[in-house]
Order: sequence, then structure tokens, then C-alpha cells
Amino acid sequence: MRKKILFYLNGKRHEVGADKSSMMLAEYLRYDQSLTGTKIVCAEGDCGACSVLRYFPHGIKGSDSDQYLPVNSCITLVAQLDGSSLVTVDVLKNSDNLHEAQKALVNCHGSQCGFCTPGFVMALTGLTEKKLSKGELLITPQEAKNCMTGNLCRCTGYQPIINAAVSMDLSNCESIKTRFFTQEQAKDLNLHFQESVRVESEDFLFFAPKTMEEALLFLKEKPDAKIMGSATDLGVLHNKRKLKITQVLSLHLIQDLYRSEVINDEIHIGARVTLSEFRSFIKDKVPEFAHYLDVFASPQIKNIGTVIGNVANASPIGDTPPALLALNATIKVATMQGEKEISMSEFYLAYRKTSLRPGEIITGLKFPLPLPTSQIRFFKSANRKDLDISSVNFAIKIDWKVDESRKIEDIKIAAGGVGATPLRFKNVEHFLINNAYSQATIENAVVELHKEFKPLSDLRASSAYRHVLIENYFRRFFSEIGGLS
Amino acid sequence: MSLPHDSAHTHVTGESEFIDDRPAMKNELFADIFYSTRAHATIKKIDLTKVFENPKVIAVYTGKDFHDNYWGTIFRDQPILATDKVQYAGEPILLIVAESVEEAQYAKQRVIIDYEDLPCILSIDEAKKHKSFINDSRKIERGDVPIAMPQAPHKIEGKIIIQGHDHFYLESQASIAYPLEDGQIEIHSSSQHPTETQHVVAHALGVPNSHVVCQVKRMGGGFGGKESQAAPFAAMAALAAQQLKRPVRICLTKDDDMIMTGKRNPFENTYKVGFDDQGHILAFDVELFSDAGAYADLSTSIMERAMLHSDNSYYIPHMKVVGQVCKTNHHSHTAFRGFGGPKGVATIEKVIEEIAHYLKKDAVDVRKINLYQDDGEKNLTPYGQIVENNCLNRLVTGLEKKCDYKKRRSEIDVFNKNNNNFVRGLSLTTVKFGISFTTRFLNQANALVIVHTDGSLQVATGATEMGQGVNARISAMVALELGLQRSDVRMMPTRTDKNANTSPTAASAGTDLNGAAALLAARKIKKRLSELALKLFDIPKEKWASKTAGLGTQSEILLDSPNLDVNDPNEGSDWKTGIATYFDIVFKDAYVYHPSHLDKKIEFKYLVHEAYLNRISLSDYAYYKIPGIEFNKITGQGNAFLYFTQGAACSEVSLNRDTGEVKVLRTDILMDLGRSVNEDLDIGQVSGAFIQGLGWVTTENLFYNDQGLLLSHAPSTYKIPNIQDTPRTFNVDLLSNDENYANVRGTKAVGEPPLLLAISAWTAVNNALTYLPSYHNKYPEIRIPATSENVLRAMMPTHFSKWELP
Repeated sequence: MRKKILFYLNGKRHEVGADKSSMMLAEYLRYDQSLTGTKIVCAEGDCGACSVLRYFPHGIKGSDSDQYLPVNSCITLVAQLDGSSLVTVDVLKNSDNLHEAQKALVNCHGSQCGFCTPGFVMALTGLTEKKLSKGELLITPQEAKNCMTGNLCRCTGYQPIINAAVSMDLSNCESIKTRFFTQEQAKDLNLHFQESVRVESEDFLFFAPKTMEEALLFLKEKPDAKIMGSATDLGVLHNKRKLKITQVLSLHLIQDLYRSEVINDEIHIGARVTLSEFRSFIKDKVPEFAHYLDVFASPQIKNIGTVIGNVANASPIGDTPPALLALNATIKVATMQGEKEISMSEFYLAYRKTSLRPGEIITGLKFPLPLPTSQIRFFKSANRKDLDISSVNFAIKIDWKVDESRKIEDIKIAAGGVGATPLRFKNVEHFLINNAYSQATIENAVVELHKEFKPLSDLRASSAYRHVLIENYFRRFFSEIGGLS
Repeated sequence: MSLPHDSAHTHVTGESEFIDDRPAMKNELFADIFYSTRAHATIKKIDLTKVFENPKVIAVYTGKDFHDNYWGTIFRDQPILATDKVQYAGEPILLIVAESVEEAQYAKQRVIIDYEDLPCILSIDEAKKHKSFINDSRKIERGDVPIAMPQAPHKIEGKIIIQGHDHFYLESQASIAYPLEDGQIEIHSSSQHPTETQHVVAHALGVPNSHVVCQVKRMGGGFGGKESQAAPFAAMAALAAQQLKRPVRICLTKDDDMIMTGKRNPFENTYKVGFDDQGHILAFDVELFSDAGAYADLSTSIMERAMLHSDNSYYIPHMKVVGQVCKTNHHSHTAFRGFGGPKGVATIEKVIEEIAHYLKKDAVDVRKINLYQDDGEKNLTPYGQIVENNCLNRLVTGLEKKCDYKKRRSEIDVFNKNNNNFVRGLSLTTVKFGISFTTRFLNQANALVIVHTDGSLQVATGATEMGQGVNARISAMVALELGLQRSDVRMMPTRTDKNANTSPTAASAGTDLNGAAALLAARKIKKRLSELALKLFDIPKEKWASKTAGLGTQSEILLDSPNLDVNDPNEGSDWKTGIATYFDIVFKDAYVYHPSHLDKKIEFKYLVHEAYLNRISLSDYAYYKIPGIEFNKITGQGNAFLYFTQGAACSEVSLNRDTGEVKVLRTDILMDLGRSVNEDLDIGQVSGAFIQGLGWVTTENLFYNDQGLLLSHAPSTYKIPNIQDTPRTFNVDLLSNDENYANVRGTKAVGEPPLLLAISAWTAVNNALTYLPSYHNKYPEIRIPATSENVLRAMMPTHFSKWELP
């Protein structure tokens, strides 16, 4: 059993105990290591000023995640970085030479006040790493925008930053991985990754076991411990002093949980699969899901946040739950009595309350592969299109009877932002299955639809807006698929 | 390509130092602020027992601990810490000092406070009803509206509601106070106005100004939000530092910053306009009401600028504008890029669109016939200032052509007939922004230029760097004047012990004022060096001081060095090059020479060394004031501005008919910035200001609870534009204009004016709505910002009313 968290920072080995590993990474960098290039603005993962590069060399080799990826250091506990290799803006310049991303931002005037700049540099360097790993040398404006969706700038209006990214020529660019990730480092991290870790002090406990059995035993011993995927939500609450993270169970050393696979026409996603990894995995299987993930969270969040975290967090405005409800997903749970499964539609009981019992741990989820004939649409509405929490989200999946009668075999409709939990519209589904597919049925279904939810008015949207949005999405779906008599 | 920002290199490497990047001193303490959650209440009791249970909490201060608890830029009406009564939710009450940031933040949660609520005013309507005003209403008037209005063939009445706008500078308010010997305090602050910060600190602590030095290295964004409102936080840090004799740091969290500090003032403007069949505006009667929040801050000045921009680029023969500032129980609103300008301009731009819609004309044609003309009466503003160097016609016709306005208009007409997913709109708006502080005494600046004996320079001015590139421009001007590279000129942090009695870096005038002062100072040195050079070139090199000084073998050269005492930075300079020449001596490429003594060409650094040996001063200080500003606030008449920066923008938007989401498809901008010192930096200011303005008119929605407590106080809930929100096509061009004789080197200020061009996106949203059948005969009523919800509500009002809670 290890007693310390191990990671590499800018090529140097760091082994830290409870006092340091309970800090947020951004604070550790700035106030403990005097690496003040990394900035803190929002402390909630919404602005990207704290972006650093993180390589987690224990995932799937050769995947999109098998490289340094930008993550938000402000909502990441140092403990969570166990086994990682980190690079910050402070060392990007190699002796007197600026990194290509830095050079481009200087030459194209991509920096004004400079406070967001280190974050943009790191996001752009992350894209550079990805490009280099694929042997691509040029960046398109859309790629530039996509890689910096998680970074806010208030000065430049972004255009100079986009220009900078597009101006880059990567043919002379040395990869960060080549520069910072040595063989010895790989060996060292890998060696330590084979062993459980328990870091403990009077007011902080972090435990990461190698097996699920150890995890279950630990939870029995410490029922108040938080199971932490990536802390993209808990970290925010911690920073805003609404909750103090004191006891953490981390599953990051359990290798099985990193798997995404298709078994018997079912998609299985492990509890440690990040949203980015999920997107790559799903993009040719359920393309609609991949598109939907594009307007969900920031790259920095998606690079560390897990699908299961988004599901287990049980927020009524989480973005994956309605989609997974429509796909009829099942949650896989480990208990002291063995494995069990919970249908997503029975998972959410009340506001932030699930049917998971104390001591139980989600190991992953699965859902049937949609048929080639399945029609699927996921909608999301927010005050800002990208990187915003939904006002409502809406998911619908329809399967037709195999005969040519144009009758609905199965339909799943789900939404978020419409009540205390992610919601399945079971009455509407029932109504549609039992009636002829016609404009009149849709009109009546709209009436049913509104009866099935009572949304709140809050700072994101009024209740009326939520009603109108859900109705519009519902109608849009059917007008797009057409064939209404 | 223009030179990069002078800090670009250290920005991208993360080396640039901001307040919280300063290493904490060993004995440094950290403070946090406990603030009100009630809009208006008396404080009955504060219980700190639980706060002090933690031994790491060192001290808690109240307003009573200040020598004088009141501050305010125009009226000294605002407590630094509220004592008996709070007047807005978010108002600071207690300063909690602890050994760490975290301890201070948790301590704040353990304060127990009892309030007794008082009636509160949270809207302009309620303020009007209760006559809750700050200062009397003001008026600017020309012609005779009561006579002209009834005679106009057509009349429209209307109202525009404009919400607030958070600055969202990335670096929140931050100050560190270091106690020095003998009761002195050194403040490092993220402030646009070090002088005011110094004065507020000294006043609050009851020490002479001379005991306080305020230093500003740079800000992580300001945008007006750190013009006045940096000062009280500095005063709080200073109080604790003075009392505890330890350095004290206050760096607000984004949430607390947004909750406590003021925003762009909300406005509600009502208007009546009379016009003829062609769309000529004959009479315009407009009343502006602004929400100042609880205290005056800069709101009266902001209102003045709103009034002075209610004509925008249009000649209106009979016009009356009345402005009234309302006092409410919101955070105290303050300067924000554009000051009042955007609120005046949004109103008249909406009015023009409305006239066009009423007459079934294209709005761009209505704009064109109303633009200020180059001469005659139609070139005179309602406040009696002539629009000199008027480029408006060139801008509008140039942009219309460049952006293919007419063709795109007909494409949009077709698109909107055939698409039920989206509806598009197109609009071209203008800006004519007055440059100068409308408060006359602020139009002054000073600068210190130091030449070191190796030929390198340090320049210090009152201008503070917040990303806009003021330092890059000033250093470029000084370098050019002395024939040097910009890298030879280092801009020093702004410090009140070097540059005192300075004005805030605001009103877009940072470079105009401080650049002129720096140039004047550099020229004083240049003139002395020129005199010396002239003399040197007349004598053999062997007699130069560098060969003889201290040896006692030659008599020293004696030179008169009369001070240059001019106030016109263009005086004596060649208009084309912008460079002044004395005694025909040329400073170029780091050399100094006389055209007829080319053999004696001397490197600048050697000349400087000669000057030192000859006891000629290599440092100088200069003072500059803007001439001819004589606006009479009482009559509302006079030359309010030195000149106008002008521009035009055309935006095309697409509205999602299911969600109301607004997407800007394309924006074209044409700006007149006179003769640019650094074109790329200027274009960066234009695109940055436009996108910031775009946030104001679309996604940025301040959402308050029923106590006026801001709930959208972080980027998770307050949505400034993201990189994906930039227009898909975004063209920024500058008009060639060599004729702004009013300003230093013929430049024009750029900071604020382009923000107002984002109004084109908002009028384009309105234009899109007018394509919907329900708006064929009426003009949409949509507020600023046109959020998705506001847009969808305008599109589907009956759907909304079905679900509206009773």
C-alpha cells in the first residue's frame, strides 16, 4: 500500500502526502510551487484560465486520450492526479524558444490583458499534441474553435486567437510528450500504479484500491466517503465552500473500469471512461450522441469528467441522462452481495437522489446498440450554445414496426431541466405507441406532453420557456422525420 | 505586421505578474468580505463569536474602524463598509482577516447577522414612482420640439429597456497593502485609477496622500469596472495592514466580485420621434432613465455621455434629451466601456429601424439621409459642437458596398420565405463617439521619461495597462521620436510617487493623454540632445567630453537647455512623420546626425553619454492637457469632445425558430481610427470590443432574486461570448484617414467606440423578427439582451402566455 500520491510535474517527480494532495491542483501550483503562470478565475471549470496538460499513461494505448490533454487545474484535487504526468505553461518555453502555440499567439496579437492567455496557450498546445500524434500539420478554424471552447477571453473577441491557431505550422514543433515524458517516468508511474494508495491525515483521507472488493470494504468502513470520478462538480462545491472534500474513494487504479466495448449488440461503458473517450468510441455507433456531446461541457472537463460521473451526479440538468434514458440504458452496480443492474428509468428518485444504496458502487453502464433504422435526436438548449448548462435537454428515440405499417414499435422520450430529476415521458410514449401515426396523434400527444412535467422558473429559463422548448423540440422531431398522415 | 503587445511574450509564458501572482510575504494575511444579502435593511446585531472560535482568524473590521468610512468619485456618499444600514444585497459589511484565504472564506460563513428589512426599490419604474433620484434631471435641447413634433407627418412613440452588463474582467478586484515605516502604506492594486485609489486609501486611513503610494503594474482586464471600484477594496486591505502592521491581500473570488461590484447601468428610455415620408427625422424627444444602484458612483457622468450620444451620427433639427439618474437598491453601477454612449446610441438606432419599418423602407437608406453632413448646419450637434473630420458618409456607403448589403438583403428576403427552422435579419448601424472626458479637469496627464546612459529608456505615465496596449503605443511613439526600437523603451508600472494627480485610464483617452505627455517629455530631452549634437558636430571629436571629462585637459562645453514648454504634441513636428526636429538634427535608427555633418554621425547611446558628461539632464517630465474642452453642464452646450471616432458595422443574424437562439452569421466593420500607431493592436481592440458588446446585446443576462441579490454571478450562469459565438465571417477594416489634426500624431482613440457597433447585431435580431407575419405592422419589443428566451418569447407570445404562471 502506497502512502503518498505520485505524479510528475514539468518532468519532476512529486510525491505528496495528505496536506498537499487535498489541495486543488491550481492552488498547489500557484501557492505551493510558485508556478503562477496558471491562473484561477472562476474556480468552477468554466473559463479555462487554469488549464494545464495532463497525460494519464494508463488508459487505452493509441486512443485519442493517449497523450497530454488540457484539463482544468482549479477543480482537480492533487490526489486525483496520482499516476499522471503534468505540464504547465511555465515550462513550455524551451530555453529561449517559445512553443509554436506561444509564438503564434504573440505574432497574431492573441493576447491582450494576458490573464486568460496561459489557459489558451495550454488548450492550443493540447490540440498541437493531438495533431502531432496524427501526423497532421495544419489547424482549421473549426478545430481551433473546438479546442478552445473551454476558454473564455474578454479582451480579444477571439478572432486573433483563431487566426493564431490557423497560422501555426507544426512541422517544426516538438511534441510535449517527447520533451517531458521519459521512459523512466513511464516505468516509475506504471510501477506505482500496480499498488493501492491510501493517503491520510486528521482531516483528509484518500483511498484508491486496486480491486472493487477493497473499494466495497472501504465504503463499509467509511460510509460518508465520496466516490469521486473527476470532481468536476464536487470540486466546484468545494471551491465555493459549500462542501469540504474530506473522505474520497477513487477508482482510478481499477483497470477494468477504463473499458468501452460492444458485447452482444450492447454498448458497455466503464465507470472511468471519460466523456472525451466516450465521444470517440460512440461517434460511428450513435453519431447523434457524438454531436450532442460537442455542445456539452468544455474539452477540459470532457478530458477528465466521466460519463458515470454525469449520470451518478443525478443533476436534473445533466446532459447525458436524458440521452441514456432514451437509449434505455442500464446501470451496473457492485455491491457486497455481488453485481446488480438498475434500469436508468428507475434510477432517479428525487432531486439529486438515486436508488443507489449506501455502500454500492456504480461500475459502468450499458445500452443496446440502436438499430440502423432507429431514429434518434438529442436536443439541448442553453443561454449560450456552447459550454453552458442546459435550460432543457430533450432526447427521443423511435423504432418502427418491421412491417410497413408505419407503426411505432417503441419510443423513448426523456428530458432534463423539466423537473427535479431527469424525466422519462412514459405517458406520451404510451400514447404514441397505441395510436395511429398521424398529425392528429401528434397534436394530442403535445397535450399529454405538457401534462407530464412541471418545470421550475430559475435563472436559466422560465417555466413557460421550458414548456415551449419541449413542445418545439417534440414537434421538430416529428416534422423532421416526416411521414405524418 | 505591427509590433506585438509589449507584454505579449511574458503573457504567453505565464511570466506576467498580476496581483495574486506576487509571492506572499512570510507574515502576510488574507482578507475576505462579508456582505449583505438584503436589499435594504438596518443591521440589528452582528455576532462574531463563532468567527473567532478559529484562532486563524486574526481580526474583523467594520466601517467604524476607518478614520473616514465614506468614499465616492463624484459624491462622497458610499460607505466602504456599511455600518448601521445596508442599501443593496452584496454591500460589504465586515472585513475578515485570517491566516489563509480558505480560513477567511469559511469564517465568513460563521457570521451571524440580524437585519430588519426596509422597503426597497429594485427597478427604474419603482424609483420613478417614489421619485428616488440622484441629482436633478439634466437636459440638452436644440430647436423647438413642441412645435416641430406636431407638424411632423409621421410620429412613433416607444420605449427601450436595456439591462446591465457585467465587466467580467478575468482578474477580479485585487489589492495588496504593505505597511511601511512611519505609517506609510504601499498599495499594489488592479486599478484603472491609481491616483483615486491612493486618495481613497489616504482619506479612509486619515493619513496625508504623501503617506500612500499606489502601484499598478497591469490589470487582468478592467473595462471601466476598476475605474472607481478598485479603490474601496484597496482601502480595506490598507486598513488591515495599517492596524496589524502586516501585509494584507484581498483577491475577490469571481462570485463575490460579481455580487458586490457594480455593472453597466441599466437604462429605460422612452421616446417620441417625428419624421417625414422619406424618413428624415424632424423632431426627437427622448427621456433617459438610468439605474445607478444604491450610490452615485459615476452614474451622473455616465448619464451625461448617454445624453451626448442620443443623436449618434444623425442630424436632428429639433431634439430634446432629458436624463434622470435613479437611486435603487442594487449594487452601485459604474463605468463600463462606452460609459453612457451605448445606451444613447442603442435608442436612436432602434428608432431609425422603427422608422424604416413604419415606412417600409430599408433602414440603411433612412440612416443615410439622416447622417451628419460635411458642412453647413447639418454638421452641428444638438450641444453645439461641429462634427469635424466627419467620415460618416464614407463609412456607411463604403461598408454598404463592401459587405454587399443590397444583394444580401434580397437573399435574406428569399431565405425567410422558404425556411421554417430559421429566420434571418440584417442591419447596419453606426457610431460617432466623442473622445475626451466630459468632465473637463480629467483631460490632463503627465509623464516621466528617463534616458539611461546606455541609451535605454524608462517611461512612466499615469496610463494603466489593462490589455488595451496603451504601453505598447506610448513606447512606440517615444521610440519613433528618438529614432530607437520599441525594445529600447521600457514602460514602468504606474506609481503615484512618479505620476501624481493622474486621471483614470478611461474614456478611450489613455493613449491620447499619456502618449501626448510622454511625447512632450521625450521632445524636451530630444531638444537638449539636439543642441548638444549641434555643438558636438562643430568641434573635433577629440574634444568631446567622453574623451576629456575628468582629465582636466579641455574646457567643458557649456550648453543652454531651455525647457520646451508647449502643450500641443503636434507642434513643431512634421505632420507626415509625426516627428519633431530641432536644429536640423536627425534621430534615426539609433543614430543621431546632422545632414551636413554625416561624417560625425553618432550612436544615440554615445550621444547620451556625452550629454551626461556635459551635465545635461537626461530625464524629463511633461504635462499635457487637452485644449478647447468647454462643455457647459448646466446649459448642455459647448465643445464636449476633442474629436469623434466613427465607425459602422453590418451584422447578419439567424434566429432559431424552435429555441430563439441567436447566431451571428457575419459581421463587417469599417472604423475610422485616424492614423493608426499600431494597426493590429487597433483591430484587436475593435474585434474585442465588438464581441464584448455582442455579449451585452445577446447572451449576458444578469438575474437577481427578489432582494436584488445577483444569482448569475459566475461563468456557469453568466454567459459572456465564447469562441464559438464569434461571427462565422468577421471582417474588420480601417478607413484611411490622415486628417485628424486634433490629436497626437493624427491618431484616434479606439477603446470604446467599437463596442457600440455590436448594437448592429441587436437591431439585426429585431430586423429578423420583422419578417414574421406578426410583426409586419408593428415593431418588435425586445429588450437588451436579446437572450434566446427573450427572442422566442417575441416569436411565440401566445405559446408563452399559455404557460406563464399567474
